[in-house]
Amino acid sequence: MLSFEAKYRREAMDAPGMPLLGLGLLKFWVGRFYIGFWGLVALLFGLIGAGIWFWRVVILDATRTGNPLINFVRGQIEAPSPDVGLSLTTDPSKGLWWLVVMFCATVTFIAWMMRQADISRMLKMGYQVPIAFGVAVSAWVTIQIVRPILLGHWSEGFPLGVMAHLDWLSVFGYRFFNFYYNPFHALGIALLFGSGLVLSLHGATILSAAGKKKEGVTEHNINVFYWDFLGYSIGEIGIHRLAFWTALMCVLLSNLCLVLSGTLVQDWSAFWNFWNKLPFWSGF
Amino acid sequence: MASEITRVESADWRINRRFYLKFLEGLADTQIGPLYVGVWGIFALVFFAITVFVILFGYLQQVGYNPILFVREFPVLSVEPPPPSYGLKLAPLAEGGYWQIATFFLTLSIVFWLIRIWSRAIANRLRPTVPIVFSAAIFLYAAIYIIHPISMGAWNEAPGHGLRAQLVWANAFSIKYGNFYYNPFHMVSIFGLLGSCLLLAMHGATILAVTRLNAHREIDEAENSTEGTHRAQLLWRWVMGFNATATSIHTWAIAIAVVSMVAGALGVIFSGPVEPDWFQWACRAGIVPGVIQPGTTNVAACLR
Repeated sequence: MLSFEAKYRREAMDAPGMPLLGLGLLKFWVGRFYIGFWGLVALLFGLIGAGIWFWRVVILDATRTGNPLINFVRGQIEAPSPDVGLSLTTDPSKGLWWLVVMFCATVTFIAWMMRQADISRMLKMGYQVPIAFGVAVSAWVTIQIVRPILLGHWSEGFPLGVMAHLDWLSVFGYRFFNFYYNPFHALGIALLFGSGLVLSLHGATILSAAGKKKEGVTEHNINVFYWDFLGYSIGEIGIHRLAFWTALMCVLLSNLCLVLSGTLVQDWSAFWNFWNKLPFWSGF
Repeated sequence: MASEITRVESADWRINRRFYLKFLEGLADTQIGPLYVGVWGIFALVFFAITVFVILFGYLQQVGYNPILFVREFPVLSVEPPPPSYGLKLAPLAEGGYWQIATFFLTLSIVFWLIRIWSRAIANRLRPTVPIVFSAAIFLYAAIYIIHPISMGAWNEAPGHGLRAQLVWANAFSIKYGNFYYNPFHMVSIFGLLGSCLLLAMHGATILAVTRLNAHREIDEAENSTEGTHRAQLLWRWVMGFNATATSIHTWAIAIAVVSMVAGALGVIFSGPVEPDWFQWACRAGIVPGVIQPGTTNVAACLR
C-alpha cells in the first residue's frame, strides 16, 4: 500500500454501490488490485478468451513449431469463412473459436471500462478515464462487430494473431483502392502523429522544470518559454484538454474511416472525383 | 544570478505587448505572444520562408502560373527529388534542383529551430528536455531525407515536397523494401506511436478527472504531491496494479514517444543496406503466418 492509501480505501468502502445494478458486491482488494463485480467479470472472460487463444494457437495449431515465442507471434485464429455470413456457427473449422474469443474479449473490454468507472466513482473522480477507454473499445467494436454486421459477414473482421492482423491490415489498405486516399484515415494518422507530438512536448516540458522550485523555477518559466519560442502557451488545464481530445478524435476518426470502407465507399481514389467537378473551376 | 534576474525581468517586460484570443476563454490560456525573435529565430524563419517560397514557386511553374489551377491541383502538386540517374549530384532546377534547394534550407531551418528552442529553454532556466526530445524527431527527418538517400546513393529515395507526394512515397517505400508491416523496427515504431496515443489519452483523462483538486498544477505536484495526484495514482494502482507519479508519468511519456521516433528512423536507415526485403526477413525469422519454421521444406515457398 502507498503511504496515503489506507484512508482512501476506507472512503471507498463507504461509497454506495453501482447506481444502475445496485451492486456494492465484491468490494475487496487483492494486493494492489481492486476486484469488485466488474473486475471478476473481466478476469473470468479475459482468462477464458486468452486461454482459448493460447490453446488454439500455441498448443493446437497444425503449423506450430517447437518455439512458443514464434508460435505466439505467427499464430492466429482466423475469422469465420464468408459463407457463414452473420450466423453464430458452431463449426470449429468455420470460425467458432473466432466468435468465442471475440465475444470474451468484448465482454472483458466493457467490464474493464465499467471497472474504471466504478473505481473513478469510489475515488470521487470524474469519468474521463472510462470515457477515454470506452472510445478505445469503440474502435474494437466498430471493426469487429459493427462493420461486419453492416456488410453481412463475420469474415470482414480481422484474424486474432500478431502477424496475422498485420497481414489483414496490409491487404485492407488496398481493398478500397488505397487507404492513403481516405481523408478520414489521413485525419486519423495526422492526429496519431499529433498524439506523439503533444505527448513528447508535454512530457519534456514538465520534466524541464520539475524539481527546480528551489531555484525559483515555476510554471511561469514554462509560460514564458512557450510565449518566447512559439508565441502561445496553452496552460496547465489546456494541455490536458488538448491531450484528451487529440487522442480521442484520433480513434473516433479512425472508426469513421473504417466503417465507411466497403459500406458507402468502394474506392477512395474515385471518392475524390467531386473535386475537379466543383462549380468554381468547372470551366477548366 | 544577477543576469538571470535580468532575463526574467525582461521576459516580464515583454508580457506588456501581448494580446488575447477571447474565444479560448474557459478552454485554455488566451494570451498570444510576445514572440521572442532573436538571431536563431531570424535564421530559422528566413530559411523556412525560402523553403516555402521555392516549393510554392515550383508549384506555380507546374501549373503555368494559373492561380485557379494552383488551388485546384494543390493537393497533388509536388516538388520532386531528381531522378535516380543524378545520384547524389546537383540536378538542374526543373529536374530536382528546386527539391535540393528546398530540402537544404528546410534542414537548416529545422536545425536553427532546435538551437532556438535550446537557447530559450536555458534563458528561462529550464532543462533542455524539449530540444533533446525534438532532436529525436529531427533524427527521423534526417533518416528519411538525408541518411537513407545518401546510403542508397540517390536523392531520389527521399519523398517529394507535396501533400500527396508524401503519401505516395510512404506507400512505395513500404513495398520497395518488401512491405514495412514485416519490418521489426517499424513494428516497434508503430507500437510507440499507438502507445503515445494511449498514454496521451490516459494522462489527459486522469488529470481532467481531478482538476477540481488542482492535479493539473503539475510543477507543484511534482515537488509535493497532494490529494488530487494521490487519487489519480490510486485509480491506476487499483485498476492495473501499477501507478506512475506526477513526475514519472512524464518520463514514461517522452520514453514511448522517443522509442517511436528512433525505432522509425532505424527502420528507414536499415531498409536497403541492412535488409533489402523485410518479408524475406520475416520468412527467415519464421514468423509469417501459415508458413513453417526455417529448416523445414515449406519455408522455400515463402522465400522469393
